[in-house]
Amino acid sequence: MELEGILASENTSLRCFVWLIVRDGCLQKKLKEKGSATLFKGNYLFVETYLGYAPPNSDRREGVLRRKRLDYLDCVAQYYDIQDIERTDEEINMLRQIAVDCPRTVPDVSFFQQAQVQKSLERILYIWAIRHPASGYVQGINDLATPFLVVFLSEHVEGSIDNWMMSDLPSEKISGIEADCYWCLSKLLDGMQDHYTFAQPGIQRLVFKLKELVRRIDEPVSTHMEEQGLEFLQFAFRWFNCLLIREIPFHLVTRLWDTYLAEGDALPDFLVYIAASFLLTWSDNLLKLDFQEMVMFLQHLPTHNWSHSELEMVLSRAYMWHAMFNSSPSHLAS
Amino acid sequence: MGAYRADDDYDYLFKVVLIGDSGVGKSNLLSRFSRNEFSLESKSTIGVEFATRSIHVEDKVVKAQIWDTAGQERYRAITSAYYRGAVGALLVYDVTRHVTFENVERWLKELRDHTDSNIVIMLVGNKADLRHLRAVSTEDAKAFAEKESTFFMETSALESMNVENAFTEVLTQIYRVVSKKALEAGDDPAALPKGQTINVGSKDDVSAVKKVGCCSS
Repeated sequence: MELEGILASENTSLRCFVWLIVRDGCLQKKLKEKGSATLFKGNYLFVETYLGYAPPNSDRREGVLRRKRLDYLDCVAQYYDIQDIERTDEEINMLRQIAVDCPRTVPDVSFFQQAQVQKSLERILYIWAIRHPASGYVQGINDLATPFLVVFLSEHVEGSIDNWMMSDLPSEKISGIEADCYWCLSKLLDGMQDHYTFAQPGIQRLVFKLKELVRRIDEPVSTHMEEQGLEFLQFAFRWFNCLLIREIPFHLVTRLWDTYLAEGDALPDFLVYIAASFLLTWSDNLLKLDFQEMVMFLQHLPTHNWSHSELEMVLSRAYMWHAMFNSSPSHLAS
Repeated sequence: MGAYRADDDYDYLFKVVLIGDSGVGKSNLLSRFSRNEFSLESKSTIGVEFATRSIHVEDKVVKAQIWDTAGQERYRAITSAYYRGAVGALLVYDVTRHVTFENVERWLKELRDHTDSNIVIMLVGNKADLRHLRAVSTEDAKAFAEKESTFFMETSALESMNVENAFTEVLTQIYRVVSKKALEAGDDPAALPKGQTINVGSKDDVSAVKKVGCCSS
């Protein structure tokens, strides 16, 4: 069997074997070409390695992991477990905003309604916000932490997410998972700092690039949207702000995250191609809609019945376009 | 796609914005008004969202194009772009969280900085069903609204209380401003072309609305 076939297969021991090869970097390039860090769901070592914060060598890895976790716990003690009187007004506001958003994070998956899950999320987000003062907490970042939480937790709990109980886990396990989530979230956002600073210039840039790319790929849709006065910012802002997590069913999100992690620092660039591919999935529908119908349609895209195959289609088309256009930017010049 | 097809037979199109702190229930007020739906499981709004509904005012069909904005300060730069051309606003606070009422003053300034002075504003105290948790008295809010010359109403999107009234009142008031303006200008309001976007403010705002496609008919 091809290595990639094994990676995608259900055969755990084979996957573990291949995982060892992957971890040593032999396959990284290949996987990247394939567009997926697939699919070690639950193998958090893999995610950590891919995010580059845990070194592949296992002795050193243990040390780094321990240090990182302690570092996070220190932050929690120093910034989170304190009285409001010790916080600035701005920090109180930020904590309040996070507390408003945690209960409305992935509200359609009951697991996220557990109080302990929401508390963990609150700590992760608050510590991240405190340590990234240029942006602070921005609504939508709460969504971005959830795939990590699910992947790391799946190491420790059995069965479907609908039956997971956070209270079944000892508190030191939870702290470890929280810390890992925090560092992975930080790593993911490192390359996208200006997506969340004042006026969100990074997102505006991606929205502009998306518009150019769509004009290049699908002229009829582009013209139709323009004639109707539909602005890309009116729908694509949320796409980029939440990395499309809001637009697809939650059970597909780890697959999407696989791709994001495989892209590493090149992610913002690649996101434009994913967004274009996603949008043009409905190319035929869009042509039939007027301004108002398009806004409403794009706000609630009919993806609730999507399975992996629809998402794979979006991603592989994104890869194709990326290969076609990205190395020849003059193709995109108008 | 039939579900998204809106009834386009209207006499007036008014752009209205929903603003206020995060978590006060703006999105649920809008879904209650536009689709008669309420969700306890709603997510935060990122950037802006949009819905419409047509109602009758006197013998005219008035279509409201409502932009629901994200409450967090960081989104202000994005959302304030949508204030342009708005002829009505619902400024929402949560009657159970006093801080959201304290921030109303900032929102009002924001609104007045970005819109025409004739804009119809209604202060809306939402979540009035949570009687045991009330933190803002009706009297305080009423006094504030009088001082600032805005309309005022308490609502519950959950119990569907006053939601219809709040939107209808805003749209009716806009209609009055507009027909009065038209009369003053010597026009017969009924003679305005169908689907004409009405602006209580300066003329250049009409083109801004046109740009987002409201006048495509």
